[in-house]
Amino acid sequence: MGLLSILIFVPLLFGLTILLLPKKYSQSYKYFTVAVAVIQLAITAYLYCQFQTGAAFTGVNQLDSYQFKEYLPWIRLDIGKFGALQIDYLLGVDGFSIPLLFLSALVMLIAALSSWEIKENHKGYFSLMMLLNTAIMGVFCALDIFLFYVFYELMLLPLYFLIGIWGGVRREYAAIKFFLYTLLGSVFMLLVIAGLYFSVIDPLTGNHTFNMVHMMNPQNYVPDGIFSFLAHQDILGIPARLLGFIVVFIAFAIKVPIVPFHTWLPDAHVEAPTPISIILAGVLLKVGGYGIIRIAYSIFPDVALNLSFYIGLLGVISILYGAMVALAQTDLKRLIAYSSVSHMGFVLLGLASLTSEGISGAMMQMISHGFLSVMLFFIVGVVYNRVHDRYIYNFRGLATHMPIYTGFVMIAFFASLGLPGFSAFIAEAFSLIGAFNSESVNGLIPRWMAILGSFGILLGAAYLLWTLQRMFFGQLRVKEENWLIKLKDLNVREILTLVPLAFFAILLGVIPSLVFNIINTSVNQFILLFT
Amino acid sequence: MDSIINISNQMVLILAFLLICAPLLSFFFSLIFKRFASSIAITSISTSFIAAIILFIKVWFSKTLHFSIPWIAFNNFDIRLGFLFNDLTVLMLLLITLIALLVHIYSVEYIRKDKLKPRYFAYLSLFCFSMLSLVLADNLFLIYIFWELVGFSSYLLIGFWFTKEKAVLANKKAFIMNRLGDLGFLIGIMIMLSHFHTLDIDALFGSGNLIASSFTTNGMWVSPFNMMPDYWLTIAGLCFFAGAAAKSAQFPLHTWLPDAMEGPTAVSSLIHAATMVAAGVFLLVRIAPLFNETVLIIIASIGVFTAFMAATIALTQNDIKRVLAFSTISQLGFMMLAIGVGDEASAIFHLVTHAFFKCLLFLGAGIIIHELHHLKEKHQLQFDEQDMTFMGGLFKSMPITAIVFIIAAMALSGLPFTSGYLSKDAILISVFEWADVKGGIFWIFPIIVSLTSWLTTFYIFRVIFKVFFGDFRLPQLLEADHHQFKIHEANAWLKYPVMVLAVFCMAFVFSYQPFSLEASWLFNELAPQQHVGGIYHILVPIYINILSLGLLLITYLAYARNKFSFGLEQTWIFKLSYKQWYFNEIYDAAIVKPTLLKAKAYYWFDKNVIDGLVNSSATAIIHISSLANWFDVYIIDGLVNGVASVVERLNIWFRNVQNGKVQHYIIWMLLIMITFFIYLMIF
Repeated sequence: MGLLSILIFVPLLFGLTILLLPKKYSQSYKYFTVAVAVIQLAITAYLYCQFQTGAAFTGVNQLDSYQFKEYLPWIRLDIGKFGALQIDYLLGVDGFSIPLLFLSALVMLIAALSSWEIKENHKGYFSLMMLLNTAIMGVFCALDIFLFYVFYELMLLPLYFLIGIWGGVRREYAAIKFFLYTLLGSVFMLLVIAGLYFSVIDPLTGNHTFNMVHMMNPQNYVPDGIFSFLAHQDILGIPARLLGFIVVFIAFAIKVPIVPFHTWLPDAHVEAPTPISIILAGVLLKVGGYGIIRIAYSIFPDVALNLSFYIGLLGVISILYGAMVALAQTDLKRLIAYSSVSHMGFVLLGLASLTSEGISGAMMQMISHGFLSVMLFFIVGVVYNRVHDRYIYNFRGLATHMPIYTGFVMIAFFASLGLPGFSAFIAEAFSLIGAFNSESVNGLIPRWMAILGSFGILLGAAYLLWTLQRMFFGQLRVKEENWLIKLKDLNVREILTLVPLAFFAILLGVIPSLVFNIINTSVNQFILLFT
Repeated sequence: MDSIINISNQMVLILAFLLICAPLLSFFFSLIFKRFASSIAITSISTSFIAAIILFIKVWFSKTLHFSIPWIAFNNFDIRLGFLFNDLTVLMLLLITLIALLVHIYSVEYIRKDKLKPRYFAYLSLFCFSMLSLVLADNLFLIYIFWELVGFSSYLLIGFWFTKEKAVLANKKAFIMNRLGDLGFLIGIMIMLSHFHTLDIDALFGSGNLIASSFTTNGMWVSPFNMMPDYWLTIAGLCFFAGAAAKSAQFPLHTWLPDAMEGPTAVSSLIHAATMVAAGVFLLVRIAPLFNETVLIIIASIGVFTAFMAATIALTQNDIKRVLAFSTISQLGFMMLAIGVGDEASAIFHLVTHAFFKCLLFLGAGIIIHELHHLKEKHQLQFDEQDMTFMGGLFKSMPITAIVFIIAAMALSGLPFTSGYLSKDAILISVFEWADVKGGIFWIFPIIVSLTSWLTTFYIFRVIFKVFFGDFRLPQLLEADHHQFKIHEANAWLKYPVMVLAVFCMAFVFSYQPFSLEASWLFNELAPQQHVGGIYHILVPIYINILSLGLLLITYLAYARNKFSFGLEQTWIFKLSYKQWYFNEIYDAAIVKPTLLKAKAYYWFDKNVIDGLVNSSATAIIHISSLANWFDVYIIDGLVNGVASVVERLNIWFRNVQNGKVQHYIIWMLLIMITFFIYLMIF
């Protein structure tokens, strides 16, 4: 049993333990969760340090060059003339997944630490969270597309209950919307997965295979397969590969989320309890971005190349539209939810450029947004837990009343608006630089997209500084008198939660090569798919 | 020429590190050891100052030094961390550290009673760190990074009194407006990187000289690596200029600077007069070879327009800091104009002299405000301590402040024996020569710039005569006893820094011969071959200064002796000037409000159209399913149930028939037979 399996199944094990423990130990569950997250963080940190780069460790479409690989034949079923059904338990990581694994472990730790606010039904909550943890780790490790899909769908179930039971006033609406919206995307993806299965054969065994790395190599396709590069099959008059790409892309675009598939996000965020918002923003959105890179782009490179213009355009629209809508918000959490839409737009823009700096910028943006959105949602949680209100105009001049809190708010806000010295600046700058260079390097997306996209940075400054001015500066005034007693400054646990996030945001802002060097080989290999 | 002192390159590197790290450490330590914040900050900036002196001696008159280490690398370009030392670098370092040191000392008294003193010194140190790093940075990306960080420290310092509503509105405005300019800078960076695959200043404009190896031909702009349409060259220049215009408060991005005066006066002096706002000029000088003719003319036009506009606004303002703020904008316009006409040396020379005299003007104003504030607190009065209508006759009570202030004002007006005489005339001469070469419409530049020069004399001496001469108007206006309000001279912490600055406003600091620009060591090093001979060189200073002296007399009579007043208060010209050409109102109506409205409209669209679509498709599905349900219940199941119930009814009925009574059976038989016969009869 390898480290990746341990990473995936440790939470499941602890989740079962929590289920079996009698209720009188319910106060200890949260410590279990924290313990699991610490173990996972240690493992991922170890993996990150052990991760090797260079020509032999490219990953992407080279199965042999994935690291920490684990392989177990899982389902073998003889299905007559279709050969044998081959589903494998295949895990491995490359430059695209390793930083996200580390990020997920960190986010899970923060989520565990912010679960102190959960007051009821601890058993259900913490065991569901453990299940979610397993699914998340699995998604980033799985190299068999069937296994990936299992983990991918497995994420939905605990999230549905976590939002639907422990959420806010409109939790049921938000939970069902989230569940159905994402499910809608993924059921169609299942059809594409089936189509891919019948189009691809394992070069070693000759069976059809769900191995997604094999799906990235054109020579593994059977000549008359539905998704074959050469056969140019049509489905309903649309080229099959085009349709396949679009279906998979939309499935993940819903997760990212990309305008216009984003409306589940504000509702889910606003209704979800703080730890779940943290997981949603910190990890779930990255599953979308990861899926676009790993599946949509890698398996359908030819289509992605042709659609680059539109994908870049969607990115720009997300950036500007998300920022504009954020400007109109009066609910702090909704504002941050929309800012997520805007920030994730940079991922798409950088990716669409298909230049090494653009893709690195996009990856950096995912990681950076992971830290920063977690920080922002935690910050919202601080106020909300104390007075159960998030309406911006109900607060004023908090800087005098909660100075430490305001300090962290300023760090988080300035980091998110892309102040140099923080990771978001590096991420956004290189996404834009990549997008701008694209016209000279490969002619995929025009320069004006980068220029328009950069206006997102301006709008980001506008809505965040405006919030800062409205809520934190000026004379102290809150809606109700007794709030002043409730609004205590941060306690030690909260400070300890925020410090590592701020630390990583600054660390990656000052030494971005910590990430860039790790992902570089994989990024270059990825670009080769498109030449 | 070899350097005067001999230190190794390694030593240079260590000194440079020391120079920027001292303020950075001071930033953290001031926040940790709160009691010693001011000592820590002053120690650190003194360290930087000493390092700057040594570096200046080493590098000035000597060749460029360049150090860098790898930072970020991609396939076809990399970005390094490095220092670039040339004349411009060390000159700026010396200037910034010297002024910053004086301002730090001044601040000790100025901020003494404030609860947030440690934070003040921490922010000031952060600013010094960013500004010094900006100057030392060897590539455009690093400059951009510190460019934004100085903006950030300026944000912190403008909003230092964050409970003041006006202050937090001002710092938000400053940051967002600068962000707008920064976008230009960023786009410029993207163009350069895309075109030259490097952002290294030395490679682009120095020894590598990539910029010279690029050329435009057939509507294309060609570099060794890339080719793009030639309008990108113009766009690149304009983008960098946009960044510089925001930082240096040039039209149309100038409106943040007057509002930035909400910060502590010492901060206004250091950041918003002497150093940070000059960063725009510094940047343009660094990248000057990039600009083509179109961009240069635009820079010159905006420079001259800003200089003129700001000077007209400064004429009528009553807030002393506001006059100085517009004066700063105007003077920065002069520097931009100098860059536009291709005379970077004069721009830098003026930057240096302006830094001293403008810093002094602000610190002097700060002393007055400080003393008036003191008075206000002591007697519990209600008045605006920055409003000049309450001042007057202060020469008697604070002579030293008055004298240094007047020296600085003379330098600002460019009167003889002051540093301003040298640097401002350098710019004026260049503009005249430039217009002479270009001819025609370009003569408008020297005309406007001369006019602006006289306006400058007018507005600054208006301040002097209103503040230091005539009678002290505060007692009259508040109808109080004259002797009750005693104004004192500033104490040592405030006094000595301004006296040092006053020395640097003198011409002999920069030139052993106070009327000769060519004799200036600074100007000579920056531009050895300029202004030799030429008719303008003799005429321009004379006619500018003679008229200036005339104006000086008029202001004296009008404001010190109250012999006459202009009586223009009700005219539109006065209002235009007093209302600052209505830029704030226009921007608010044309940009801020529409953007917020648009944001609301987008949100409405999001909630009702996009999400409405999602929800209505959900509702539609629910309706369809309930329709299906109805169909299922009433039609399909209805059919099934219907058949069943028919059978059941029949069943019940037949059960009634078979009730075992013979009479019933006979009646039924009769009925059936009768029916049968009736049937036969009919058919």
